[in-house]
Amino acid sequence: MRLAGPNQLLESVFARDLCIGCGACVDLCPYFKTYSGRTAQVFPCTRETGRCFAFCPKVEVDYQELSQAFFNEPYRGAPLGHYLRIVKVEAGPNLPKGNYQNSGAVTALAVTALETGMISAAVVTDRKGLMPVPKVVNKKEDIIACAASKYTAAPTLAAANRAAADGAKNLGLIGTPCQITAAAMSRLNPTEKEGFSDPYNVLIGLFCTWAVDARKLAALIAAHTKGKDICKMDMPPPPSAMLVLSLDDCNINVGLDLVRPIVPKGCSVCPDMTSEYADISVGVVEGLPLANTVIVRTPRGQELLDRAVERGYLVAGKVAAENLAHLSLAANNKKKRALAAVQALGDNIDPEAAGRAVFRIRAEALERIMAGV
Amino acid sequence: MASIADGKAGEVKLLMGNEALARGALEAGLAVAAGYPGTPSSEIIETLAKAASTSNLYVEWSVNEKVALEVAAAASFAGLRSLCVMKQNGVNVASDFLLHLAGSGTRGGMVLMPCDDPGALSSVNEGEARHFARLVEIPLLEPATFQQAKDVTRWAFELSETLRTIVMVRSATRLSHASGTVTMGEIPSNSSKAKFIHDGFVLDPMEGPVMSPPVAYKHSQQQDKIEKAAAIFEDSPFNTYEGPENPSLMLIASSVAGLYAREAIHLLGVADSVGLLCLATTWPLPPKFMQKYLSKTDRFLVVEEVLPFLEENIKVLAQELTQTIGPKTFFGKRDKTLPGVGELNPDLVAGALSKILGKPYVPVSQEYSGKARQTAFLGAPSRDLTFCPGCPHRASFWNIHTVLSTDNRQGFVCGDIGCYSMAVLPSGFSTLKTLHAMGSGTGVASGFGKLGQFGMDQPVVSVCGDSTFFHAAMPALANAIHHGSDITMVILDNSGTGMTGFQPHPGLPVDALGQQAPALDIEKICKAMGATVAVCDPFDLAHTQETLHKLLEEGKGVKVLITRRICALSPERKGKKQFDMKVDASVCLGENCGCNRLCTRIFRCPGLVWDAAAKTAKIDEVICAGCGVCADICPSGAISKTPV
Repeated sequence: MRLAGPNQLLESVFARDLCIGCGACVDLCPYFKTYSGRTAQVFPCTRETGRCFAFCPKVEVDYQELSQAFFNEPYRGAPLGHYLRIVKVEAGPNLPKGNYQNSGAVTALAVTALETGMISAAVVTDRKGLMPVPKVVNKKEDIIACAASKYTAAPTLAAANRAAADGAKNLGLIGTPCQITAAAMSRLNPTEKEGFSDPYNVLIGLFCTWAVDARKLAALIAAHTKGKDICKMDMPPPPSAMLVLSLDDCNINVGLDLVRPIVPKGCSVCPDMTSEYADISVGVVEGLPLANTVIVRTPRGQELLDRAVERGYLVAGKVAAENLAHLSLAANNKKKRALAAVQALGDNIDPEAAGRAVFRIRAEALERIMAGV
Repeated sequence: MASIADGKAGEVKLLMGNEALARGALEAGLAVAAGYPGTPSSEIIETLAKAASTSNLYVEWSVNEKVALEVAAAASFAGLRSLCVMKQNGVNVASDFLLHLAGSGTRGGMVLMPCDDPGALSSVNEGEARHFARLVEIPLLEPATFQQAKDVTRWAFELSETLRTIVMVRSATRLSHASGTVTMGEIPSNSSKAKFIHDGFVLDPMEGPVMSPPVAYKHSQQQDKIEKAAAIFEDSPFNTYEGPENPSLMLIASSVAGLYAREAIHLLGVADSVGLLCLATTWPLPPKFMQKYLSKTDRFLVVEEVLPFLEENIKVLAQELTQTIGPKTFFGKRDKTLPGVGELNPDLVAGALSKILGKPYVPVSQEYSGKARQTAFLGAPSRDLTFCPGCPHRASFWNIHTVLSTDNRQGFVCGDIGCYSMAVLPSGFSTLKTLHAMGSGTGVASGFGKLGQFGMDQPVVSVCGDSTFFHAAMPALANAIHHGSDITMVILDNSGTGMTGFQPHPGLPVDALGQQAPALDIEKICKAMGATVAVCDPFDLAHTQETLHKLLEEGKGVKVLITRRICALSPERKGKKQFDMKVDASVCLGENCGCNRLCTRIFRCPGLVWDAAAKTAKIDEVICAGCGVCADICPSGAISKTPV
């Protein structure tokens, strides 16, 4: 991984409008802060290297290095990344009631991890009004209360950074691909910080095609709801082209043509749809609103899923081949779009190339992505 | 000296220039003095306020310079001798009334005493008051020495009564703030009675209504007064010449530049061939007197600070006299022999003389100057202009800067005059983005806040001090509120006119004479004007930041945040520490990732020191004011505060 400092982070990420506000650089130091969905450098810092740059998922992400470190294999550009198995899950009989997006799989896994001592606390994303608010919670009820997708880019890792600074261990992180990537990089202690210890034990990844800018979404929603509170948002998979806002007494549909313009530019360079560096990743299943697709990537992820099933929180089944094919295609298309976007920025992503790039991908992996599924 | 009123006639005392000016006014039988604080003028009113306890004097710090001039004018209209004091740009503020006053004329002797700041040592401009004398057609006197400061001032009141117009006595930093010996004169017993006679004939200057119309009549009277002043100046003892009868070059100087010119002549050893004419009556110039001296030689160097005011006036006169005195050559600002900006000094004048005379001048040997420069560069630590240890402004700007950065909409701050002007510098985290006159921060913000219709979506913040609020920010605030401008005004209330020495203002329960006075409540005023108002202690970083964020997000209209915390140097606070501060070196992160010297590199309170050998921060216990703020900004909790 190429190291640099805050000024290079500003130059390569902030100045290119690639920051998605994941919080990876926030609260590691007094300089990078998050507020109301946006990240900013508050005061200048002169360090030549820093964790802010090293953890950022929008500059110098070396997929080869991550793949070797976590899966002990080279990065091959597979659409869904490294995995052990892929299953379809539905809510089990014992899953506590909650405001779930689909089956409640993410909540089920996080609660299981907490209850079985795999994690000491979960780093989750709540919202206050329409603003995402990261939290570190160690009660089942608090995890359940944060269920359902926020659709907004969120500074979740800021809370993890604060907890890590306070000495937290065995954290569980629920995050989008960018957040999982950043957390994964941070686990490698790239700046070789003295006394470092990995604060995470379980990473639960979410599928994500793109997120939306929290402030712009708030403005968009306010314009449609005329200030009324919403209880849930949903973005059903294609062919629906709507953002569905659930109010107390009605639903309001917002066309995706209005939503796409508020997707941060940073999402366009993301090649990861399924949180490839998580222990376990969760996403939707086309056509089955009460089910989820679960990608088990590590033995720890497998253990977690098994325990959730044992506890009756989830019921696992087979993913239809057609669904898997669609998922792979969508994931590969996201990689292709990201490659095109990074090329348009003028970055040379070859691991040996000089300069700075959003990420580094070897020629072999590149060929596989471009060849398609 | 207990009081400037002490000291009998003939006694010689060491006086600061501003004290000499005040003494001159007392020797003239001064009854009323008003002013607004501003360096280098502030000690004049303060000196007179002290003297008021033993003399029959009324002295006030007015809300601003225009009101000060109006207050002093009232005394003159009632037949008393009055003085109005301000720094150079105060005359800009007072100038509207000044123009009308020059038209209406005065009764009791009245002196306007601006103190200019060439080189802007304590200003953000080097404006000059002198030009106003010519602009509004009133006499101008410029004393050069401490004795003259006193004597010219005393005489100015007589001149004012002779002409029935206000007279400007202009000082400058190096006269106001230096000290020299002065021979005292008599202070008359002050038994003046005030009465405003207003029912006489409408054009009667002493008994009719006081006003500038009918303009044609009053204006022509005003010009008669100026002609009369020129005639009186013909014999003024304050204009002096020293040097040969027919010098090869004559230096013509005004104010303290006369002293520099004298020293320059001495430095070059050219006293036998170069003459020096020091003028104290610089507007209008006495034509016959000038003709006499302009006839003595053909070459002149005009020595004055900043703009070529005297130079141009002399050139006009010389042109009018060409038939009599023949063509003359002038050196000065116009031909760049001397710089048109900054202060003068003997070296600059000697350099100019050397150039004109072709006589080499080396101020110090190159070897010495090289050594001196090296020693200065290597030996002297670099020191910024900065807020004092424990200054509430540092905390306020820390909060404002943090909030605007995290708000992340490219918000900015418009500022004006006070210690807080330093927020343009790293000391205030370079937070101020516009800096102009008193109250202008809010006026400029009021304009920015109306640019939404042209697509401007940046948050607009203004700052002003508590004294500035009363001085000039209230009309700007009224304007912003009335026009629905979207701004957040931060009033940095440090409970006094901190920059100039804690002079009282209308927000404080005391006046210039130390007597109890009703205090106006800034919070209530802003609320009554229609603003949303919040009050915070700037040392409570989290609360202040949260409050400011909320105000910025409220969007429409005018919001006011008052950050209230008394100045660290105020007499009430001085020397009292709230906390004992300590740095735990084992916890301090120093230059490491996670801190990178936030306290000594960014926060930069002078009470914090970077120990380069140990690579940790430490407290300078001698100057730490014990405010406790650094403990709250330290990211690793290495700085602790213990209540004293």
